Amino acid sequence: MLLLWITILPLLGALALVPLSPRRTSLLRGVAVATTLAVAVLSLVLWTRFDGTRADAQALFSVPWFTLFAQGGAPVPLHFALGVDGISILLVLLTTFLMPIVVVSSVGHVTERVKEFLIWLLLMETGMLGVFAALDLVLFYVFFEASLVPLYFIVGIWGGERRLYATIKFFLFMVAGSLVMLVGVIALIYGLGSASLPVLIERGAELSLEHQRWIFLAFALAFAVKVPIVPFHTWLADAHTEAPTSGSVLLAGVLLKMGTYGLLRFCIQPFPEIALGYGPVFLALGALGIVYGALLAMAQTDLKRLIACSSVSHLGFVVLGLFAMTSSSLRGAVLQMVNHGISTGLLFLLVGMLYERRHTRLLDRFGGLAAVMPVFALFFVFTVLSSAGLPGLNGFVGEYLILSGTFQSAPFWAAVAVTGVVLGAIYLLTSTRRVLFGPVILEENKQLADLGKREVGTLLPLVALALWIGVQPNPFLAKTAASLDRIADRVERTRAALDLGALEPASSDPLVSAKE
Amino acid sequence: MIRQDPYSVFDALSEPAAGAATAPILALALGVLALLLCEVIDLLRPLRPFVFVGTVLVALFFEFRLLGQAIPPGPVLDGTFVASHDTAAWGVLFLSGTLLAWAYSLGYQPEGEPFRGEHDALMLSCAIGMMLMAGAGDLIVFFVGLELLSIPLYALAAFQRWRSTSVEAGIKYFLLGSFSSALFLFGAALLYTAHGTLSISALAAAVSGSNLSRIGVALVAASLFFKVSAFPFHTWVPDVYQGSPTPVTALMATGTKAAALAFLLTQAAPLFPERGALLVALLALVTIALGNLGALAQEDLKRMLAYSGIAHAGTLLLLVSARMAGADAEATQRAAIFYMGAYLFTATGAFGLVSLLESDGSRFTRIDSLRGLARSRPFAAGAMTLFLLSLGGIPATGGFLGKWFVFATVVRAEMVPVAVAGVLLSVLALAYYLRVVVVMWMQPPAEGAPVPATTRPLTAGLATGVCAVLVLATGLLPALFLSPLNP
Repeated sequence: MLLLWITILPLLGALALVPLSPRRTSLLRGVAVATTLAVAVLSLVLWTRFDGTRADAQALFSVPWFTLFAQGGAPVPLHFALGVDGISILLVLLTTFLMPIVVVSSVGHVTERVKEFLIWLLLMETGMLGVFAALDLVLFYVFFEASLVPLYFIVGIWGGERRLYATIKFFLFMVAGSLVMLVGVIALIYGLGSASLPVLIERGAELSLEHQRWIFLAFALAFAVKVPIVPFHTWLADAHTEAPTSGSVLLAGVLLKMGTYGLLRFCIQPFPEIALGYGPVFLALGALGIVYGALLAMAQTDLKRLIACSSVSHLGFVVLGLFAMTSSSLRGAVLQMVNHGISTGLLFLLVGMLYERRHTRLLDRFGGLAAVMPVFALFFVFTVLSSAGLPGLNGFVGEYLILSGTFQSAPFWAAVAVTGVVLGAIYLLTSTRRVLFGPVILEENKQLADLGKREVGTLLPLVALALWIGVQPNPFLAKTAASLDRIADRVERTRAALDLGALEPASSDPLVSAKE
Repeated sequence: MIRQDPYSVFDALSEPAAGAATAPILALALGVLALLLCEVIDLLRPLRPFVFVGTVLVALFFEFRLLGQAIPPGPVLDGTFVASHDTAAWGVLFLSGTLLAWAYSLGYQPEGEPFRGEHDALMLSCAIGMMLMAGAGDLIVFFVGLELLSIPLYALAAFQRWRSTSVEAGIKYFLLGSFSSALFLFGAALLYTAHGTLSISALAAAVSGSNLSRIGVALVAASLFFKVSAFPFHTWVPDVYQGSPTPVTALMATGTKAAALAFLLTQAAPLFPERGALLVALLALVTIALGNLGALAQEDLKRMLAYSGIAHAGTLLLLVSARMAGADAEATQRAAIFYMGAYLFTATGAFGLVSLLESDGSRFTRIDSLRGLARSRPFAAGAMTLFLLSLGGIPATGGFLGKWFVFATVVRAEMVPVAVAGVLLSVLALAYYLRVVVVMWMQPPAEGAPVPATTRPLTAGLATGVCAVLVLATGLLPALFLSPLNP
């Protein structure tokens, strides 16, 4: 029941906003903040109750939803089933944690049509939480698609100048990806005779290899667009740049994680054999994304676009860690999902604050801000270091786990990825220098106000979290350990079986022979 | 057995099975007479809306009673009419579509309401026609249903005689519609010549590879495709839909399609040879593609919805092809009813909202004229957005689950490439639905443009609310609608 409340409370909050007068903005904001805070508190309760030694889904909630009529065989009952395991609970927490911050930060940049904005934000929270908590394939798909709609409006109404272009591009990329997944979902449900996620994880590998391969590819395509994995990344820079700050934070912080979460949950976990077969492809694309994203970021002149490109690079690490499929690389990948949410969220918030003051994001419009805005500079440097992976901060732990895990199974791609760490330091530090240090060239920059209390208040929780994960990541890793070890064990067993099978020439499957 | 004595028809109707099967139709027929009577007697005129609603409710009651029966009557009256759970479910759809379209038509004519009684009576006879089509066990009964639906629609399309586009729509629809009726009659005649019977079940058993019966089936199919508005018989749709009074367009778009499809799936499917499945699937895909491409280019909302209706007809036709390829009859039927139900509420709501906006002083049917609607009329914009998202098949709406069921059926019929092509073609549709959403929410109102005002009776708002709730309910709680279908 707790998980159900966490999921639908934002929806109820959105409904509560509907009858309120659009002019009473502080009341509207108060209701939204209260709702998101309540959800955050509930999710903390969930976190403390969560048993990290168990690998299966907990906090289960399930009611029958409707029945799919299967031709011939038994009808397939669908359930409104929710539950979290070690992987999804981290992402649920990340979402519920970011939301109050997003709502509070929106005070600065959303002044028109506040009511609609808050309604869309709350609806989006329900959608995002549903994606991570759904234990039924159809329910997952519904949440996965439905969470797009609020973001579409958030970017389209409150976005920048080229927002219409960005929203349409974003939406069409997403829908094209997920419709292919829809065919995969249908094929999977009829193949398994069940739509339940635990059943899929349990018995997914029992389907014929050909069947598994097509389903894997259908899902992988949808998630690759969402992550985005190079070459599907072109929507990202536009959507990020045009989105209002809150939209960017949610997009980077949570929405992209649906892609990496999906890859782990629907591609790697149920179909380890296929994942091993296509592993090299994804490793290469992940490493390519790390380097290419970093190079793209170096070339940007717009600060927000730069962060968007750095997201491509950072998510390359996550993809690398996922498809290296060792116990430590998986841990690193899941932790890095959270880390990216924190540090990129912080970066977007900071850039948003700068934009509210100067109405530009071009790098050459700044310089020497450290002298004018010391508090801002402090937060900015901290965030950049966290994003660049300075030891002692959160980014380091994730990247280190990913790289050390990847060295075990794919040393070459790990080596390529390490160059990405260096490139990351280059573009992040260069842009910091250009924004913060040196002389104050432009007149306008001399009078900028430093961060106010509200702004510091939105940043501090994330900064604290970044420090905490950097110094003591174990409480976070411990909750995910059992779930991830189960996946890693299974992959190991499959790998061993494939290696054995590969010795016998009898194996006729092209994937297996390609593996040698 | 042929009944010679004309009065024996009353004996036939008094059999309990036949009585139950035909009760909804008889109720509607009585309602039509009552409406016409009210029109003549001045004193009774204020009663007209109550007669209309009452008739529909009584008919609905009979349909629900049929749905609730453990063993439905099946073929009655010498097998000329069939009443099953499926036809009852279709009947419920027809009646709800008629009722909603009627609710939107109240107060639609700005120039006072001449011939209101005739208008309502014509709408009710459309419903009779649809029910006869869905339940026809005999080609002649089907033809009677077809004409009972079409002729009132010709008249309704041209109902705004002072608008030349309305008259044009009526004439166009009449000419092409009678052409398609002629095709049907010719096909039926050829089938009769070849097999000596008009009963569909007998024909299904007898249909052979002879040229005569093959051409007959093809002609019958062509006339049905015309009604469904499938390629290559779709070209009349945009002009007729745009010109007709909008509530009539809503009825035309949902009712005609539903009735023809109901006949195709419930009764006529066995007539079609299995090897035609691929051809029908191809026609369906072309229909979807043409509908979506056409809609992309439209500047007029009604025309865009007309093209989108063509695309939806294509999706429904995929079901027919799946059925021909051997998909389970029951599963196909349910998928069709669900899809059509979701489409009916969505499209009626969308056309209804257009009718609401356009009759507010000036004609708000150009997409551009909806600019900034979200600010001036947030609820209308919200409902319209919901309908458009449902038409586009976004989850949490009925449109999504409808698509889901259709493609699931197609996949089960082992036509995976067809399903994938259909799915990809439907991405195209989102581009134009979203354009309208963008205009309503993300663009400021045009300078000096008249702001739509609310002058319409409560019924239209109520109908919109009902449609919106049903679109959401079909999307979120489909069990409510599916469980009556699996008794």
